[in-house]
Amino acid sequence: MEIIKIVGIGLISLIIIIMLKQYKPEFAIYASILAGVLILVLVMDKLTGIIDLINSIASKASVNTKFVALLIKITGIAFLSEFAVSICKDSGESAIASKIELGSKIVIISMSVPIISSLLELILKILP
Amino acid sequence: MNIDLLFKIAAIGILVAVLHQVLVRAGREDQAMMTTLAGLVIVLTMVIKEISTLFNTVRTLFNL
Repeated sequence: MEIIKIVGIGLISLIIIIMLKQYKPEFAIYASILAGVLILVLVMDKLTGIIDLINSIASKASVNTKFVALLIKITGIAFLSEFAVSICKDSGESAIASKIELGSKIVIISMSVPIISSLLELILKILP
Repeated sequence: MNIDLLFKIAAIGILVAVLHQVLVRAGREDQAMMTTLAGLVIVLTMVIKEISTLFNTVRTLFNL
C-alpha cells in the first residue's frame, strides 16, 4: 500500500515540477525538495521497526551495543547527507554536493574512531 | 504531511508567475519583482517547516 503512495507522490511532483520549471524555476526546486521530504517521512515509521530488530539481534548476539548504536547513528548521517547531495546535484550545484559529501564523510570517520581503535587493540591481542 | 502541500506550492508558483507577467505588462517591474520575492518567501517558510519535521524525525529515530 505504501508503495502506491510513494510512486503517486513522485509522479505528481514530477508533473508539477515540469510545469513550474517553465514559468518559475525557483519554485521547481521547492517542489522537488518537498517531494523528497514527503516520501522520506512516509517511510520513516517503518524504519523504527528495523532499528529495534537490529538492536534486539545485536543484544542477543552479545555484540557490543555501543558499536551498534554508533552504526545506526552513522546510517542516519549518511541518510541525511545523501538527501542533501541528491537535491544539490538535481539543481545543478554539483560543487556544493561534493562539499556536503566530503563533510559527511569526515563526520562519519570522526565518529567511527572508537570502533577503529578497539579493532586495533583486538588485533594486537590476537597477535603473539 | 500530505500531498496538498505540493499543490499549494504549484498554485503559488503559477499565481506568482501570472502576477509577474501582469505587473510587467502594466509597466511596474519593481512591484513584479516584489511579488515574486514575496511568493518565494512564503513557499520557503512552508518548505522549511516540512524539512524541520523531517530532521526531527531523523534525529529522534537514529538518536543522532
